Amino acid sequence: MTTTARRSPTGAGLMDRRRLLQAGAGLGALTLTGGLAGRALAQTPTLDMWWWGEQELPGLQAYLDKAIAAFTEAQVKPMLQDTAVVISQFQTAAAAGDPPDLQYLWNGIYHMESVWLGYLAHLDGLMDADLLAASNHGPLSRFDGHVWRMGWYPLPMPWYYNKDLFDKAGLNADAPPATWEELLAACEALKTAGVEPFGGGVQDGYWAEWYITHGLSQNLDSVGDAVNLFIGDLDFREPRYHQHWVKLQELRDAGFLNKDMASLGLYPGIDLCVNGQLGICSSIGTRLPADAKATNGRIGCMALPVFGQGALAGRPVVDMQGMGIAAGSEQKEAAARFMEFLNAPEQLASFWDATGWIPAASGFDDSVISDPSVKDLWTRWGKGNNITNITNLMPGQFYEQAAIPTGQNIITAGMSGEEAGDLAARVAQEWRDFNPDLVEKYQKWASDLSAG
Amino acid sequence: MRRNSPLVPYLFVLPLICLLAFVFGLSLIRLVEFSFKQVRGIDGPWIGLRNYELVLNQPLFWESVGHNLKLFMTIPVMVLVALTLALLLYERLPGWRIHRTILFLPYILAIPIIAVVMKEMFQFSGPVNAILTALSLDFMVLDWIGSADVALWTVMGLIVWRETALGVILFLSRLMALDESLIEAARLDGASWRQRAWFVLIPQMRGVIEFFVVISAITMLSAVFAYVYVIGGGRGGPGTATMVIELYIFNALIRTSLPGIAAAVSVMLFAVSLLLIWALFRVRRREAE
Repeated sequence: MTTTARRSPTGAGLMDRRRLLQAGAGLGALTLTGGLAGRALAQTPTLDMWWWGEQELPGLQAYLDKAIAAFTEAQVKPMLQDTAVVISQFQTAAAAGDPPDLQYLWNGIYHMESVWLGYLAHLDGLMDADLLAASNHGPLSRFDGHVWRMGWYPLPMPWYYNKDLFDKAGLNADAPPATWEELLAACEALKTAGVEPFGGGVQDGYWAEWYITHGLSQNLDSVGDAVNLFIGDLDFREPRYHQHWVKLQELRDAGFLNKDMASLGLYPGIDLCVNGQLGICSSIGTRLPADAKATNGRIGCMALPVFGQGALAGRPVVDMQGMGIAAGSEQKEAAARFMEFLNAPEQLASFWDATGWIPAASGFDDSVISDPSVKDLWTRWGKGNNITNITNLMPGQFYEQAAIPTGQNIITAGMSGEEAGDLAARVAQEWRDFNPDLVEKYQKWASDLSAG
Repeated sequence: MRRNSPLVPYLFVLPLICLLAFVFGLSLIRLVEFSFKQVRGIDGPWIGLRNYELVLNQPLFWESVGHNLKLFMTIPVMVLVALTLALLLYERLPGWRIHRTILFLPYILAIPIIAVVMKEMFQFSGPVNAILTALSLDFMVLDWIGSADVALWTVMGLIVWRETALGVILFLSRLMALDESLIEAARLDGASWRQRAWFVLIPQMRGVIEFFVVISAITMLSAVFAYVYVIGGGRGGPGTATMVIELYIFNALIRTSLPGIAAAVSVMLFAVSLLLIWALFRVRRREAE
């Protein structure tokens, strides 16, 4: 390039000394500002957060994005996990020494196993004690005197009944059956009115799990009793511990279960009840706002009618989703601040706005709930004398090889309740044989739960 | 080293062998190692043959093996159907091009797509039963995926429908490569279609039929996961009616946190698959000769 080429005829293209100095100063200031900003950014910790929940609670991602943007103490990088790998992905990363700082945690054994493996940090002393207690983490998050998980949002587990179908069958829609005899009578009335009385969809197995949640607990005196069934201190072959399966058999034999129950999944089965094709089904509270709206409030909620003699019989079930901090995290303090931030009243309100569902923390102002069905559910289940979901105490092996097959086989393959008890006892024994190291942990957990 | 040294060809393939040894060999060694350990997380204490002992004494494992063996019943059906269809296509019946495309279509579609569609079709309140009812064939209405007695047969039907397409492709390719003069000679001698097929064509297709049988056997043993996962509600259900070995391994690894058990079953499955692959190579060698 020649000098002539660089000059303009007027010389305006030339950079004189003053401009050079100005540019230099500007550049220096820019570098300094950039450096400071960079240092500030470097001082802001980055938190990896692996989470799940959008699958069951649409709007959670929108809420989380908003919360992360509002949180100034750290940069949170969320990653939505696939349902199948929520546990295995975390455990593998933790074992490899590179876990996320924050991890979404299902209830009970779904995070307790990670506690036993040393992959989770307990929250005592990390999170503000009052906020942690107010997050309603539930009893299954306690082990060895510590709390290992914050409660995030609750899952009340009611049984739906369709009020229009109850009217059609001449039943009192404001007084659903409370005892097993009343349930059988209601089913008979529904059947006579041409309505399939009871059921849902068991093809994907979850219905069978939920049935145990409601049924087995009726003959337990404490949550710890459920653990005792797996570790062998109690036995599924005793009639009271398989009575719930005998009752399911009774419903099958009476022809009260919907005919397509075996080929439908859980949610399509619930849809049957909402759409007026099924009288009573097992459901989950997060569905209620939409279902109540779709039916103009003609969906009622009830507990599974009582047949058992245990102290837990007839009590409403509330499960709880949560979040914890990895033991291998280098940013535990920052992670704890973020969890506290999620429990701030304005964040709880934001959670409600984005999801239309109730956050777990006691700090939530529930006066904003306007739907009478949701309000009623929250009053009776969320604030009532509820119990936790005992299937969260089940070892995975028992869940896959006994809990789900028993329900499905009773409904589809003619298995009796007693045979289901035998299968459950055998699989519980197999679990003990396969996992001798975990039995000891379960024994300790059972004593903690019974004491609690 | 001289160019004609016998080591030269091996040096050319050495990088690939190293890569394969790293990618597969290392994993395989870890897999075998895991099968002798009580793995928690990514490692655990050595427990010798205990995992194998536990698995071999578990009724669910043998039930899964039984289901895999039952799936072998689809192989003769697939061979028969694929052979018949390939021979018909070879005869270039009217519209054979469109028929060929239709027959190949199932194999082009991904298994999960087919399985999800079929699952909807075969629901108790689904279109298949609705059609049967409309045709007054109520006695044929079954709970195709919801009945423990029927579900595995439904899976088998789906496998036959899809995997037969591969057989048609293979058999037709072989037929296209045959010397037409022999067939023409048979035709001139007055051989009927059945005689031409039985005495002229099929004997020349023996190698490809054996090949198809062996790869189908491997498929039934270790490549039916997608079918049973979708049809069986992700759990080999109803109950354990469609549980197969692959799903057993998946459950042990992902759902029941038993990597050691999953490894032990994988090692056994690998050994059986190796036997079948050895058989496959023998067939291919014989075909080449």
